[in-house]
Amino acid sequence: MKTPSPLGLWAWFAGTRVGRSIFRVGPPRSNLERSQAMVSSFLLHVQPAKVSRHSLRASYSLGLGLISLYLFFILTGTGVLLMFYYVPSTTQAYDRMKDLQFVVSAGLVVRNMHRWAAHLMVAFVMLHMCRVFYTGAYKQPREFNWLLGVGLFLTTLGLSFTGYLLPWDQLAFWAITVGSNIAGYAPVVGPGIKYLLLGGNTVGQEALTRFYALHVIVLPAVAGLMVAVHLFRVRKDGGLSRPDEPAEDAQSIPLGQLPTNKSYGLMELARGTTPQVGRDPDDEVFAWPHLIFRELLLFLLVVAFVLFLAVFWNAPLEELANPIHPPNPAKAPWYFLGLQELVSYSAFWGGVVVPALLVTALALLPYLDRRREGVGRWFARERRVANTVFSICLVIAIALTIVGTMFRGPNWGWVVPWRTPPAMTQEH
Amino acid sequence: MNPSTPTENEVTRRGFFQLTMGWIAGSFAAAATAVATVRFLVPNVVFEPAQRFKAGAPGDYPDGSVTFLEDERVFLVRRGNTFRCLSAVCTHLGCTVNRSEKGYHCPCHGSTFNADGNVESGPAPRALTWFLVTLSKDNRLLVDKGESVASDKYLIL
Repeated sequence: MKTPSPLGLWAWFAGTRVGRSIFRVGPPRSNLERSQAMVSSFLLHVQPAKVSRHSLRASYSLGLGLISLYLFFILTGTGVLLMFYYVPSTTQAYDRMKDLQFVVSAGLVVRNMHRWAAHLMVAFVMLHMCRVFYTGAYKQPREFNWLLGVGLFLTTLGLSFTGYLLPWDQLAFWAITVGSNIAGYAPVVGPGIKYLLLGGNTVGQEALTRFYALHVIVLPAVAGLMVAVHLFRVRKDGGLSRPDEPAEDAQSIPLGQLPTNKSYGLMELARGTTPQVGRDPDDEVFAWPHLIFRELLLFLLVVAFVLFLAVFWNAPLEELANPIHPPNPAKAPWYFLGLQELVSYSAFWGGVVVPALLVTALALLPYLDRRREGVGRWFARERRVANTVFSICLVIAIALTIVGTMFRGPNWGWVVPWRTPPAMTQEH
Repeated sequence: MNPSTPTENEVTRRGFFQLTMGWIAGSFAAAATAVATVRFLVPNVVFEPAQRFKAGAPGDYPDGSVTFLEDERVFLVRRGNTFRCLSAVCTHLGCTVNRSEKGYHCPCHGSTFNADGNVESGPAPRALTWFLVTLSKDNRLLVDKGESVASDKYLIL
């Protein structure tokens, strides 16, 4: 007797009356069925039936966007679980964290996964942005998707910030204090925004309630919607950027001369080209199995890695929030330490002007840099100037982060990491 | 959708008014929704501790002392018969300052202040705030954190 394989089992089920009603197509055996499998499934039809070999090359995309998406899934799942125990109250939140750590079954692992996945998501969204920059992938016709990406980057930071406030430990309390005060430095609207964020003048219950609402529904909804449009646009803009892409207007067909023998004729009317038009068919492979199995494998790797971190390292939880004494030194998570180093020179310039200029520059980038050369290749020589400018900004950001992480000690004074800082004195 | 229809690009009076009224009504609706939403989020009542508080009897504070009142995040400074009250909230980003040999320093971003609360170094944009100190009818020190005063204004007993 043949051993039943999972695919065999699925093939049998897909052949039954019920299975056909669900799947329409079983495990595909021909190229036609490979296309049908992609198109007839709600979950799969987001993706193309055929995909360029270049897009599948791991050395091109490094899978960074996909990893960010998977981390977002993990965060949503673990976040919903945490909501079953967490109470957004200044008197209960911290105890609930302790419950999650010591009482709730698997609570520690779920919280660890949530925290580590959050750190990783910030890192991978940043890396994804660097990849898109260094391959020139933000250029026409993908300008708007870059803009959405900038929005997603900011939303990710917002989700992280509102997230680490919720345990109501020392990190949380002083991060809200410093963060809302930075907002207060914005010209004209600053004090109003600060009052709106805190729901009052002091950091307390109202502020926690507000950041909770932002963290569990407002920002995830915004992020989810933007992710959906971001992915939609990847397809509508012709898949991942490639060096051999035809110019956007290369295939436009005059009105009234639409080919009648193609089912995607209407798509061509709506947009100059379809992803398929004008492409060498040998350069493309079927998404099933080439893309789907790669995606599943990457998903498994990401989950395994987050689980590995969560099992062996515990997420930090500082002491209970103490409105009287900030910890000394009071340090933000790594992704805000460059910003903290900047505001230690000037809250207005470092906390408002520089970040605002950087975000504006990122948002305008695809509309300012309109040259078409060097798209779809890493570090293209044609893009030497742009790459150099971006690299300089990146090096400065990393340097500031390193300084904030390793060279700042008590009272934000200079320390050298290889020497123990002078004994701290608490005076009062 | 025949582009040769002559009336396609022609603006009729009715069309013009419809479009104008539509835009005006739409803009009003959007603006009203935005204003109401923001206004909803601005609390009308806040449940926060009172700005005025009693800091005990003058005799509780020895001559020459600087006392940190934890719950109020202020320093009470007595010199001879004079009393002053200094905010312990850093003017930079709101951390609580600690006392140092020369005055005060902030642990978060390293601002230092002298004994009068003036900025010595660091990113703090302003001096620490001095609050009005008066004497209540029952002879207690009364501090009003809503009322800032100059650093040379004392309560003299």
